[in-house]
Amino acid sequence: MHAPADPAPLPGDRRHPGWIAWALLAPMVFWLAAFVVVPAAILLVYSFCERDEVGGVVFRFTLENYQRVFDPVYLRIFARSIGYAALTTAICVVVGYPVAYTIARASEVWRHRLLLLVMVPFWTSFLIRTYAWITILKQEGLLNGFLQAMHAGGGPFNLLYTPAAVVIGLVYAYLPFMILPIYGSAEKLDNSLIEAAYDLGAGPVRAFSAVIVPLTMPGIAAGTLLVFVPAIGMFAITDLMGGAKVPMIGNVIQNQFLQARNWPFGAALGVVFMLMFVVTYGLLQRRGARLAG
Amino acid sequence: MKKLHSLLLSLATLVALPAVHAAGEVNLFGWSEYVPQEVLDGFTKETGIKVNFETYASNEELLSKLVAGAGAYDIVQPSDYTAEVMIRRKMLAPLDRQKLTNLKNIGPQYRGMVHDPEDKYTVPYMTGTVGIVVNTAVVKDPIKGYRDVFQPKHRDRLVVLNDNREIVTWAFYALGLPANEVTAANLAKARPVVASWIKLVKVFDSDSPKTALLNGDVDIGIVWSGEAAILWNEDKKFQYVLPAEGAHQFVDVLAIPTTAKHKDEAHQLINYILRPEVAKLVSDKFPYTNPNLAARRLLSPEQLANPASYPQAGNLQPFRDIGKAAADIDQLVTDLKSAN
Amino acid sequence: MIEIRGVTKRFGSFTAVDNLSLSVRAGEFLTLLGPSGCGKTTLLRLLAGFEMPDEGVILLDGQDVSHLPPYRRSVNQVFQSYALFPHLSVRDNVGFGLRMQNVPAPEAAARVAEALEMVSLREQADRLPHQLSGGQRQRVALARAIVCRPKVLLLDEPLSALDAKLRHNMQLELKHLQRRLGLTFVFVTHDQEEALTMSDRIAIIHRGRIEQLGAAGEIYHRPRTPFAADFIGQANLLQVAVVGRNGTTARVRVGGGLELTVASAELPAGARTALVSIRPEKICISKQRLDTENLFEATIEEEIFQGATDQLRLVTTQGTRLHALVANESAMQEAFHEGDRVYCGLHLDDLVIVQAE
Repeated sequence: MHAPADPAPLPGDRRHPGWIAWALLAPMVFWLAAFVVVPAAILLVYSFCERDEVGGVVFRFTLENYQRVFDPVYLRIFARSIGYAALTTAICVVVGYPVAYTIARASEVWRHRLLLLVMVPFWTSFLIRTYAWITILKQEGLLNGFLQAMHAGGGPFNLLYTPAAVVIGLVYAYLPFMILPIYGSAEKLDNSLIEAAYDLGAGPVRAFSAVIVPLTMPGIAAGTLLVFVPAIGMFAITDLMGGAKVPMIGNVIQNQFLQARNWPFGAALGVVFMLMFVVTYGLLQRRGARLAG
Repeated sequence: MKKLHSLLLSLATLVALPAVHAAGEVNLFGWSEYVPQEVLDGFTKETGIKVNFETYASNEELLSKLVAGAGAYDIVQPSDYTAEVMIRRKMLAPLDRQKLTNLKNIGPQYRGMVHDPEDKYTVPYMTGTVGIVVNTAVVKDPIKGYRDVFQPKHRDRLVVLNDNREIVTWAFYALGLPANEVTAANLAKARPVVASWIKLVKVFDSDSPKTALLNGDVDIGIVWSGEAAILWNEDKKFQYVLPAEGAHQFVDVLAIPTTAKHKDEAHQLINYILRPEVAKLVSDKFPYTNPNLAARRLLSPEQLANPASYPQAGNLQPFRDIGKAAADIDQLVTDLKSAN
Repeated sequence: MIEIRGVTKRFGSFTAVDNLSLSVRAGEFLTLLGPSGCGKTTLLRLLAGFEMPDEGVILLDGQDVSHLPPYRRSVNQVFQSYALFPHLSVRDNVGFGLRMQNVPAPEAAARVAEALEMVSLREQADRLPHQLSGGQRQRVALARAIVCRPKVLLLDEPLSALDAKLRHNMQLELKHLQRRLGLTFVFVTHDQEEALTMSDRIAIIHRGRIEQLGAAGEIYHRPRTPFAADFIGQANLLQVAVVGRNGTTARVRVGGGLELTVASAELPAGARTALVSIRPEKICISKQRLDTENLFEATIEEEIFQGATDQLRLVTTQGTRLHALVANESAMQEAFHEGDRVYCGLHLDDLVIVQAE
């Protein structure tokens, strides 16, 4: 859409924000600078530094840390982390979409109740929720007890400390971050568009694939971003529910700071991780831009 | 070394920590889940000195915070090999032994240890070992050392510390290599052993390895002796074994950084902790080996009979600082784990 | 083409459509006219299949479709908001229905091109809906529906979002299209002028029922109920008492004493009071005495200029107030101004009895 030619500027309608606008922006600018720009800059600087024997950072330029990032050991871990995150994201979409869509289509009263239920887990600490899953999945836990009570053969099953447990934990932790954005775009979805699809001969399945999914794509994309990127870096769940058996990139980064006394290498891994985020975001944005024409 | 919990806890306390340095306070930077709160409360009640307690999850965290100059701590609680490097780098202030009248309570075997041969900078707080805990209700074979633990028949029934240096050190013991000579050649020798071991482990956990044992998810663990002692208190089926090939003995010490602003109060708190009845409180809560012999006399026979807290003499060795080799160990174990 | 038999639709305790029967003839332009909330849209949605009737049946070409989902009915709808798929180009929007019905691609492409040609949107085929003007969007919605060759095209207030001038053009365009294609249109609107302009027949819906069904002229000239008289066009509704009958005529008296003669055919025997509807433009006004029945004198209380017409508020000597509409005079004709005393005349047939008891 093309805006008409700019009319002569009115007194209150300035292209350049005045000092009041800057004053209003100041807290956010400060916040961004203090908590985003500065730490990222520190990370970047550290990643090109050497280390000393007690884990300090020696400000001498080196590319060694980045060379090490591309060692097959760490590339494999990156690949694995991405694989787990992708699987988690896929499950979150498949599980979260129907939930989000149902909530968005529910009556207003129910919508609020159901949304509340989605958010309730946030009211307790993440660790407590994860320990609750350990209680469910452990060998003498609720699930195995239930299966035995049902006389399901073969038990008790090895559930905890398996890759499946890690994926369950990841999906559980990130599902709300998928549900909420999809809910956001499904709620805005004009019902008459769905009716139009039905009217034009689309059954429920085709109406879903040809109209509903494309129109809620912004929500899916936002949810993917919110799930995929943090899931790559997650380390607590792999430790607690996976038994720390297969290291994820988050564990490796954590180890550089807490065990290996190698902050610069940890910083280099962090920088590469951030770049991955930027790339993912850029790809999704481009895709979104294409959809919007 | 309860990484995760304490990481979060220390974040929380960081926020709560007041930045003022008024007289009558002391800033303690210690391990999480290692100093009973009633000890600190008792000290404040008696002296009026307020204790600001901040925690860390690993020696490396302690080191990096001190190196970065963050916080003004008056007492720190490093492990022996970390204290060694701190002394070497002149990060610890010499103690005024005139003020530590209760130092006499520390047993002679815990004096003049290799990290601080003249006892100039450190006072032992608690000591412990890393050993094998066996659920004897399930495992009937005798378990004497690492080689007995890492058997294919125990695949997926093992929990070990999620600590790369520990794991590599066990392989060194099993191979008869000197535990503290972390050289490229020795690491190459240890590599196949560690590789085969890692495949057998079900859980790597330093924070609370006892959980997997209690939950029945595993039957054998190589864990901190304090964890093993708690398991034994829960159920006598959890037997503690010091590995025959050799075991890591650690001493966690109390020390005063050179940058401390309340050295006098710090001495008072250390001396308070050295009292038998106070040191006993520590043993009650965290059943590691208490180096305070006067305090040991106050313990119950059951506490003293706990084989994890007070094991039979074995082949015990301390860790020494290995400097940059820590990163080589990390890469080795990371590589092997991810090859799984 | 469509038979609606005794259809009732309730939403909770609210009855939106109340035991309604209606038949739509093939090829006709039928308008469902009524105020908002009257049930006309619900009726349309019942035809489209978005709602299922609680009682009654709907036959489409003799087949019971009452409980068929929308995608199994060969009717298509033009939505009030157009409901164009924002992520699809004009071409893909128009081709959507054919794609869903698995029409082979070459045929679909040809039919889409034809439909776009018909609504003069060939040039805009690759644009996205948000790049079009309101009128263009409207035509896309239309093309999208007719390209499916429905048996009946349903239109839900399709012109209400357009400005007055464009709306007028589209009314004619729609009407021409309907004639040209010979399609059956069921058109919903609350705009009586639009209904009169476009429809072959109008069904006035009120409280879920059909108030009156008939050709546009019949509905206008001979309203059957006070609601129909009031809703369509403007009407002076006068409460009268029957004071005498004389063969084909009857004398009635308005509140203030004004007496008028009406045709008695529509006045049931024994009726004592009645409601009479008089269209404002049917009141004949002159400064000269007129030679007509129902002649009375009145004063012009107010004159409102409306462009082509003047609206006059009259007060008769008996105190009865009436609205009248006169063509705006050329210099050759009489001019009326506030305060003028005038003679008014009414033809017998222009007094329509809409209620009597």
